[in-house]
Parts: sequence; structure tokens; C-alpha cells
Amino acid sequence: MEKEVMTFNTDSSMDIKAIPSELFHKKEENENLHDQAFETKPVSYLRGAMMRFAKNKASIVAAIIIALLALYAIIVPIVSPVMHLDATEHPNGFSDPNFMYALPYNPINKALNLGWWDGTEVENGCSAMDLEILELDDSNHSPLVENIETVNEQILPGQFITYYKLRVDSYAVGCKEINVSEAEYNKLVAYEKEQGIYRTDKSIMKPLVDYKSYLASYKEELIQKRDEGAALGVTGSLTDAMISKILDFMEGYYNQNQRIWYQLGSFESPTYVFDDNTYVIRHDDNGKPVPIYEMKDGNYVYERDNLGKITIRVDYYDYFIFHNGFEPRFFFGTNSSGQDLFSRLAVGTGFSLLIGIGISIINFIIGLIWGAISGYYGGTVDLIMERVTDIISCIPSIIILTICAIQFTGNAELKSTIGSGGVIILAFLIAFVYSGWVGTAGTTRMQFYRFKGQEYVLASRTLGAKDPRLIFRHILPNAAGTLTTSSVLMIPGVIFAESSLSFLGIVNFATSGLVSVGSLLNEGSGAGLKDNPHMLFFPSLVISLLMICFNLFGNGLRDAFNTTLRGSED
Amino acid sequence: MEQKQKKKDIELEETELPEKKPLDVSNASSDEMALESDRPFLERFRKGFVNFWRNKSTIDLLKYIGKRLLLMVFTFAVIFLICFILVRLLPLDPGQSMKDPAVFNEMMVAQGRYVKIIKEDGTADYQPMPVLMQLGNFFKNLFSGGDHPFGYSFKIEWLSSPADLLGSHLTPTVLMNIYVMIVSVPVGLALGIYMALRKNHWEDHVLNVLIMLVISVPSFVYAFVIQYLFGYVWQILPPLAASSSVNYFSPTYFRSIILPVMSMCFGSIAGYARYTRAELTEVLTSDFMLLARTKGLSRAQATVRHAFRNSLVPIFPMILGEFISILSGSMIIESIFNVNGVGGLYLRSINDRDYDVFQFVSMFYILIGLLGTIVVDVSYSIVDPRIRMGGGK
Repeated sequence: MEKEVMTFNTDSSMDIKAIPSELFHKKEENENLHDQAFETKPVSYLRGAMMRFAKNKASIVAAIIIALLALYAIIVPIVSPVMHLDATEHPNGFSDPNFMYALPYNPINKALNLGWWDGTEVENGCSAMDLEILELDDSNHSPLVENIETVNEQILPGQFITYYKLRVDSYAVGCKEINVSEAEYNKLVAYEKEQGIYRTDKSIMKPLVDYKSYLASYKEELIQKRDEGAALGVTGSLTDAMISKILDFMEGYYNQNQRIWYQLGSFESPTYVFDDNTYVIRHDDNGKPVPIYEMKDGNYVYERDNLGKITIRVDYYDYFIFHNGFEPRFFFGTNSSGQDLFSRLAVGTGFSLLIGIGISIINFIIGLIWGAISGYYGGTVDLIMERVTDIISCIPSIIILTICAIQFTGNAELKSTIGSGGVIILAFLIAFVYSGWVGTAGTTRMQFYRFKGQEYVLASRTLGAKDPRLIFRHILPNAAGTLTTSSVLMIPGVIFAESSLSFLGIVNFATSGLVSVGSLLNEGSGAGLKDNPHMLFFPSLVISLLMICFNLFGNGLRDAFNTTLRGSED
Repeated sequence: MEQKQKKKDIELEETELPEKKPLDVSNASSDEMALESDRPFLERFRKGFVNFWRNKSTIDLLKYIGKRLLLMVFTFAVIFLICFILVRLLPLDPGQSMKDPAVFNEMMVAQGRYVKIIKEDGTADYQPMPVLMQLGNFFKNLFSGGDHPFGYSFKIEWLSSPADLLGSHLTPTVLMNIYVMIVSVPVGLALGIYMALRKNHWEDHVLNVLIMLVISVPSFVYAFVIQYLFGYVWQILPPLAASSSVNYFSPTYFRSIILPVMSMCFGSIAGYARYTRAELTEVLTSDFMLLARTKGLSRAQATVRHAFRNSLVPIFPMILGEFISILSGSMIIESIFNVNGVGGLYLRSINDRDYDVFQFVSMFYILIGLLGTIVVDVSYSIVDPRIRMGGGK
């Protein structure tokens, strides 16, 4: 009701006589007429900015994402079991070459059987032998997930080659021969007994493979074959040199593929032509592979003495769980040396954020002081200071960074005092601080030019205020809004510059123990985009999110602090 | 960002000179402009050209250019000095994986950069000269026309001159950047115009979001995406640029640099579109647009003849600035796609510690940057005579 009256009163074109009479009431005798006090609280500058910011949905979302990324960077290194392993065993953080280039594994996708992001990989063009090797794997975890497709390809009329399209679990690395101390061995035996899997099918320790004695007997066989061929007058490829070559290569193959527990033979044609690089699985009369496990008195041998250590052959996946206490499943996969990308990316994100924010703060302070002096004093001081910033901003920071990086890494004394990680941080610090403050200085200078001639400054000066007081108490607070937003927009700039320079490899992170998103990208592009896209995908995602969110957040702040927009959206 | 800053500066200057130029130009000149635009283009151009050279302000402009060039020489000299000293102070270790250190050291001695010391046991030891003496020797070499005044490359190409190296790497970079410009300028401007005309419609909002994404996301991220999808997954185009042995103008080479050009285009297009949209929306609400419509022009005519031309005032210098920078390649894109360009050369010179090449290419980049700013500033006053660069108070 009251509102209606108000609108009638404010509308001057309204015919007073047309106002309905029931809206009027008679003034009581003792009634006081006065303006009503504001029921709402006055909105301060900061509060208004907050309100305007809160209305900007995109900025809010961006701020939340930044917070989540920061949480990721803080929490993962604390919580992740990968970060809390024995430092003597993993001096440069966790790495396990057996799990190199493991693919990203997401338990949810695995449970839903979606076929992607579950640590499996589709391999095209596998031969029958590849398939058989995977099928014959004697570990507890079969590497073969499914045989997707069998392709019969006709290469010549009537001649077919069979290919398989297989889905392979990149975590089922099979059995590995490892050397352990006696204490470790006893612990493992105790663990197996406790689990009730000691010397069973599911045991961690598997029988050792004795390929050396097999190769010795195979050598006899080859020599015999050579003599047979010579007797028949067939000139095959089997010479003495060829035999030793075949055996050398086969020994290397057995060494590398420790999941093989059966006899392999060199590929041979009926005419005694042998191939030193192609092997076939040898089958017995029943079509079964011939095992070459090490036997002693009719029993499998599980351990071998090796210079005071014990050599055992273990299912590596299960051994890893026993040894490290967590399952070797990596959310973002691993890199070339088997380091967990999920925790490394968290550390890298933290590093990039810290560098971005830290350097921005330093730049902001330097720029503020420089711009304040230059803008406040003006005249010759301004002219000289402007020329200095001109020259400084003309030298790209990449030159300074390169020079710093080379100079510092070559300086053994400096390296020993602050460590090789410190050297990198120092190089970044100098390169980005060197010209990064120029932008802030320019903005501050403009703001000072704007405010220094205003009456309130004059008033304060008349009352005897000194320059520092005028600068810091009067002019600066007025310019604070503009300056803050410009400094927030500086953060993504620094993060971008840092990541692209370390991506290009201008700063070498390799031996420093430091990780940044850029260095992860560098690693990823070194590993090849074609073969290991996961190593590039996740760092790219994080850096993109960081850049987008900081820009949105900064723009939101700018709009929020811009008082001319006050009330424009209402 | 930089461009915008510059524009702001110019605006400031404009407002500082109320007595020299009419502040409210839009109304007064829109009549003339409306008439001007009805004349044949060539005649107008000829007249404008003649007027341009007769005008007193042209002489002012020439003076301004001269002043800027002088300043540039001074700035360049200072930067050169700083870089020269910093680079020459770097620990030079030519011994590592160098073909023949003795030959290189002798050349350094001949250039006055090293001192040869014969030790007691007869072996030669080479020590670097003090940097300021090296500087003196460098200028002596440069002005006396000695061979290889800019030093030698010892890693990238054994004992070749950095200038030759740069020259041989320029073609792919320039070629790539020209392709990028050919694609991105029309597309970017067209997108910007479209967005400005459809302002606050859903098309505008969608494009705005897309442009924000493209500008925020680092270029190497979409370079990876493009390379992975087109090059490896779908295998439509070669994922890497062809080697330098292929003729740069052959179709093979062109095909192989489509992907890098594509990845460079995204950022460019987004930049142009955003800028054009901002300028055009501002111009579209001007009073002279109303006048043009009142006069009977259709919306399309008014937009093309009046609004777009005026909005080009800040956009044209931006394009010009980009045109200057076609000489300097993008290091990131060139390294991802293995393009044998200037950016790649620069990166290699850094990673191989090939200092002379590094210094030469750095100076080249700085020179281009300085020239670019001058050209941009000068072009403002050529495009729009109302703007008088460097005008005093």
C-alpha cells in the first residue's frame, strides 16, 4: 500500500484529482510526520564490490575451481602414499621403472567397465605369438583383458595373416626377478604364510626360470641342426656366428621378458634358414609350451643366492603391494621412469601457483613503489624513470632467464649453497621480477597523475602532511581497487610464462627435484604425444583450468571494483 | 592489452588539446565523411594522398618519425650493451662436444675475444678477454668490415655465421605467419563484425565464451589437441612439419604446416574478433551512425561505410604490428611441430648454449619489437588524421 502511494507522489505528471480517495487518511492530532530512517544498511565500497562479485556466476565458479586446484596441490602430497615412501630407497621421490608409462586408472571407470581411463590399452595388430605370450602369463594378474577382434588379412591369394586387436592391462607387468635382502625375504615368507598363499598358485613368489641351462641345451640342438643341414647339403644361414648371435639375442629377450617361463626357439624355415630376431614358442607333442622352471629333486626352486642377496621371482604387482603397502594403480598414469603423475602434478600445480602468486606479489610491491614515486613527483624524475622502464621492458624476459639459468647452473658455489632447486627458483625470480613490475608501475603512475591534483590532497598538504603520508594515506587507498585487480590478472600471466618457458626446456628441471606444470609438459612431449597422450593431457588440463579461472576471476574482480557499474545490473 | 594501453594514451593526448582540435568531431566531420564516402574511391584516394603530402601535419609526422627512430637507435644501443655484456660474461665452454676446439679458439683469438697463453709445457691455453675490450674489438670488427663480425655458431652449424643461419631459417617462419594472417585477419574481422551486429543475442554470447576460452588457454594446449587429433588419431594431415630439405613452396611442405598454422590461427582470430567487436559496438552507438541512417542509408551501408571504417582506426595498426612480427616466429608452436624456423633456431641456440647465435637472434627480436611499436604508433596518425602522435601541449 505504502509503495503505491510513493509511486503516485513521485510521478509529477499524475493528476492529483485522479488519486483514489481511499489512499488518503486524516492526520491524527498528535501524530508526528517525519522521514523514515533507512532500514537497509549503507553499502561500503568493499561490501558493494563483494556484492557485485557475488552476482557474477562465472567468477564464483572460477574462484571455486581455483580453490579446488589449490586444495589438490596441498592435500595430495600430504595424503598420497606415493609421497611417503622410504627416502633412502627413493631419493628423488617415488619411481618404479617396472610401471613406466602405465596408463591412467580410474576405479570408477573400471567398475563400470567403460573401456577407457581404466589402465588398459587397445593394441592393434598383435600376432598370434603376442596373444599366446599374454595368455601364458604365469602371474596372478592376467595382462589380457579381452580379445576384441580377430582380423584375417589376405596378403597373397590364398595366404592369410591373422591379427588380433587386444585390450591389455598396462598394470599387469607379470613376473620379475628381483634381489632382496634376507630380512626382506623372511618377511615375505611370513606374509605369504599369514595370507595362506605360501607356495600355492596365488603366491607372490613364483618358481625361478632357468633359461641359462635351457639355452645351453638349445645351443647343442642348433649345432646338431647345422651339422644335419651340412650333411644334406642345404646351405642355410646357420653358421657359428649366427648361433652365438641367436643365443645372445635370446638371452637378452629372456632377460627383458621375465614373464616367459617356457622354451622359445628361433624362427626357422625348412631350409635351415634361421632368423636371429624372431622367436616362436616351442610346443610339445600335446601342443603345450615346454616349461623351463628351475628344478631341484623334482621340486620347483623359488630362491637363489646371489652375492649375499636372495634372488626371487615374484608377481610384481602383488610384491609391490606387499613391499609398499598400496596398490600400484595410478590415477593419472606414470611417466618414463614410472613416477606417479597424480602426485607429481599436485606438486607441480602447487609450485606453479606459488611461483605465480609469489612473483606477482613481489612485482606488485616494486611496481607500486616505482609508479608512486614516478607519478607523484613527475617532471624530470618521471622522465628518467620512464626511460628506465622503457629499456627494461624492451629486453624480453626469456633472454634474462636464459642468461640467469646458464650463469647459475654453471656456478658450483651457488649451487651448493642453495641447491639445484634453489638455482631454478632464483633464475625464475630474477627473470620474472626483472620486467614484470613495469605494468603495475605504469598503472600506479596513471592513478597518481589522476589523484595527486585533487583537492583533498591539496587540503592535506596545506595541513602540513609530508610526501609519504600523502602517497600512502591519501592517494594509494583511492587507487587500491584498480591496482588490486591488475595484480590479480598478473598471476595467470606469470603462470603462463613459467609453464611455457619450462615446457620449452629453457630451464632444466631434470636433476633439481622440482616439478612444475611446465616441466611435466616438457616430459610429456619428450615421451611422445602419439604414444603417451596421458602425460600431456592432465598437465594441459590443469594449466588450462588455471589460466581460464584466473582470467575469469580477475575480470570478475575488475568489474566488481569498478564503481561505475554500481546498480547497472539491478 | 598493449594496444589498448596505447589507444588510451592517444585518447589522453587528444583530450589534452582542446583548442587545437574540435573535441566533438563525430558530429562535425560526419557530414563531410558522409559526402566523402559517396565519391569514387580512387579519386578520393588520390586527393587524400596529395593532401597528405602537402599538409603541414605531414612534416610534423616526418619529424615525429625521425625523432622516434633516433630514440629507437638509442634504446637499441643501450639494450645491445646490456645483452652483450651479460652474454659475454657467460661461462663459455666450447670444449664440450665441439668438433675442433683449437680451430674455434684460434678464431676467437683472431676476433679479439680470447687471449692465447703459451704455457711452460708448450700447450696453449685460451682465456677470455675482459668484456669491455671484447666490446671494443667487436665494434672494430664490425666497422672495419672483417669477416664474421657477429661471431660463429659452434653447435648448430659448425663455424657458420649467425646472420646466415638466421637468414636460412627465416623463410618457413615468414611463410607460416603469412598464411596465418591470410586466414585470421578476414575471419577474425568477420567474426567481430558478426558479434557486434548480433550483440547480446545468443550467437554473441556463445562466441564470446569461445573467444574467452581460446584466449585464456595457452597456445601449446590446443596445439597438442590439434596435433593429436588431426595428426595421430585421424591421420588426415602430417603431424610434424616436413624437413628443411623439402622446397618451402612445394605442396608437400604446405600440407605439412597446415596444423601449426591452424594452431596459430586460433589465438589470432580470437584476438581480432574480440577487438573488432569492442570497437564496432562502440562506433555503432555513435551519433553519426544515427545521422547516416537518417540520411537514408540502409543498415548494411551505414555499417560498412561508416561504422566499420571508423572502427578500423585502432584495428589497422594492430594488424600492421602483427605484420611486422611475422619475422619472429612462435617458439612454442615451432618446437611442437618441429618447424625449422626462427623460433626453433632461437630455442636450439639456447639449449645448445650457442651464444653467438643466441645473441644475434635476440637482437633481431628486439629490433623487430622496437620497429613494430614505431610502425604501429605512426600508422595511427596515417589511418586517422585526427590523431596527432607526439603532439606537444
